[in-house]
Amino acid sequence: MLRLTLATRLTLIVVVGFAAIAIILMTLFYVTSRREKEVARPSPARLAALATLIEQTPLDGRALVLDAVSSPQFAVRVGRADRGGEGGAQLAELRDAYAVALAGRAVEVTVPRATPNPRFPRVARLLAANALEFRIALQTGETLVVDARTAVPLTRLGLPVGFGAGLFGTIVALLALLVMQLETRPLARLAAAVDRVDLSTAAPLLPQARRSAPEIRAVISAFNRLQGRLSEMLRARMTLIGGIAHDVRTFATRLRLRVEQIPDPAEQQRAIADIDDMIRLLDDALLSSRAGAGGLSQEMVEIATLVRAEVDDRSAQGEAVDVTLEPSFTDAIVLGDRLALRRVLANVVDNAIKYGRVAHLRLSLGRDKVVVTVDDEGPGIPADRRDAMLEPFNRLEASRNRATGGAGLGLAVARSLVEAHGGTIEISTAPAGGARVMIELPVFRAS
Amino acid sequence: MTTPSPTILIVEDDPEISRLVADFMRREGFEVACAANGKDMDALLQRLRPDILILDLMLPGEDGLSICRRMRAADTIPILMLTAKSDEIDRVVGLEMGADDYLVKPFGPRELLARVRAILRRANGTPARPAARRYAFDRFVVDLDSRSVELIDADSAPPQLTSAEFDLLGCFVLRPRRVLTRDQILDWTRGRSAEPFDRTVDMLISRLRRKLEATSPGSNLITTVRNGGYLFTAAVKQVS
Repeated sequence: MLRLTLATRLTLIVVVGFAAIAIILMTLFYVTSRREKEVARPSPARLAALATLIEQTPLDGRALVLDAVSSPQFAVRVGRADRGGEGGAQLAELRDAYAVALAGRAVEVTVPRATPNPRFPRVARLLAANALEFRIALQTGETLVVDARTAVPLTRLGLPVGFGAGLFGTIVALLALLVMQLETRPLARLAAAVDRVDLSTAAPLLPQARRSAPEIRAVISAFNRLQGRLSEMLRARMTLIGGIAHDVRTFATRLRLRVEQIPDPAEQQRAIADIDDMIRLLDDALLSSRAGAGGLSQEMVEIATLVRAEVDDRSAQGEAVDVTLEPSFTDAIVLGDRLALRRVLANVVDNAIKYGRVAHLRLSLGRDKVVVTVDDEGPGIPADRRDAMLEPFNRLEASRNRATGGAGLGLAVARSLVEAHGGTIEISTAPAGGARVMIELPVFRAS
Repeated sequence: MTTPSPTILIVEDDPEISRLVADFMRREGFEVACAANGKDMDALLQRLRPDILILDLMLPGEDGLSICRRMRAADTIPILMLTAKSDEIDRVVGLEMGADDYLVKPFGPRELLARVRAILRRANGTPARPAARRYAFDRFVVDLDSRSVELIDADSAPPQLTSAEFDLLGCFVLRPRRVLTRDQILDWTRGRSAEPFDRTVDMLISRLRRKLEATSPGSNLITTVRNGGYLFTAAVKQVS
């Protein structure tokens, strides 16, 4: 879809509006001016009467008669039998119509040659197109010349009346468009500023443009208030989560110390595992809320070292985890939070082992990105469930049964952390049929 | 047992955790004293000399990091830190604090016992390490105590840094390969060189960068990171 800026839209509205007005006016002009041309054309009876009158008037009274019937739109003079402008086909038709009324007098209807207007030749031609010249051969042997034309009022400059007004209007309209552009620019700046807003820091407020319209100033200050409320809310939420995390951890520590007094060792192991799960869930929630608030740290993390550490830890616990480095892989560095990235790996590998028995990790290097692929040998994840798996509290089996897995936060947390690092995570199918999770992270290069 | 049983001082604000740890350690044959905060700890230290300090990181009033730093400067008592936040670990045992070991909450008592025994074994053999704050990176060796910069290969003269530039370098060396915002740098270097404007940080960094670059061309040690931060790209090793 074509995206138009507000200024372009307003401009288009104005232009289309003006075009519509112009078309309507021009239509009206054509309709009326055709009628006017006909009106301007003297009736054949009038010319016949005039010819008869001139023929009957004695020579000394002729000047009076000519003066009496002449007007700027209907100039009458008597001359010798010379030829004026050129007659066209259409005019010949017109001449035949007049010849009938003029009772046998020869008549020529021509378009007169334009009276030259040195300053605006175009205007002169326009006026001439409107005019007709009748040459009627009188019975006295003279020629009666009648110049009929529609009056087009001209200003002192020789231009039609209204031309100046139109020109002035056009200039004003162009200026208005320019001003409109200037007026809508604060909106574009506002949008850019809103995009730059970082709620995690003490937010710098958006600049208030002093000269913009009250509405735009109102929008900017509304945004500033909203930003203030949001960062206040975010801060409150972080404080709340931090407080809860601290307290829960304190309770968990007490509980963990008390667990020593459970006499049955199997029961004791289960209790310890429960506490560990609980703390992990808490850490996950804490990390992903920090990721959402831009609270992650940024350090240079060697991704291969991180992956190897995870694999070594898992192998030491007897889990089936291995890693392959593609030959092209060099020491890629990702700028990010070490703990968060480790958590991403841990969660994805956890999932692979829990549902697919083993985790095969593979590291490869794409253009400006490092790709970590984790394949398992389980049943895989159906294509229509893959996106849902990356949402919180979504697990492949609908029952929220903790015996077969976690709360369903693992991949959702991984996704929010990966996205906070500017990367992507997606689920597909491994070549062997199991599930494949592919994590892409941007590679950092010191400039 | 002819040797007196070792004494543990627990500094922990949660009384239940204190009591549970104390009970457990007493059963294991330790003398245990408990303090709820830094002030209590100071009072106890007036009349008793513990063999090991178990110190919580998050304490009301003076926090664990600051107590640890203070104890390190004044004494040789080994310190085991208890942390809630796993992301603080590298600061606790790493370059800055010099705690002897750490445990992340929640921890099991057996794990705690193992760590305490290990620390005590080490402490009995050798006096607590004198925490030399010498760090090597690229061609440079920085000594934060004597405030000097040397070169590993002495074929050219080390850069002459002003006091403010040295503080800035120290700040980077203690937090290498991590994006530091201008505010953080200002926080960590303020106090000694009290220049309050963040433009000053930019200027200082560009001066420091120029001096390091002049001594080690092409090393590109300090990088500016998009949306406001500086990154010390070299790997830093603590050396003796």
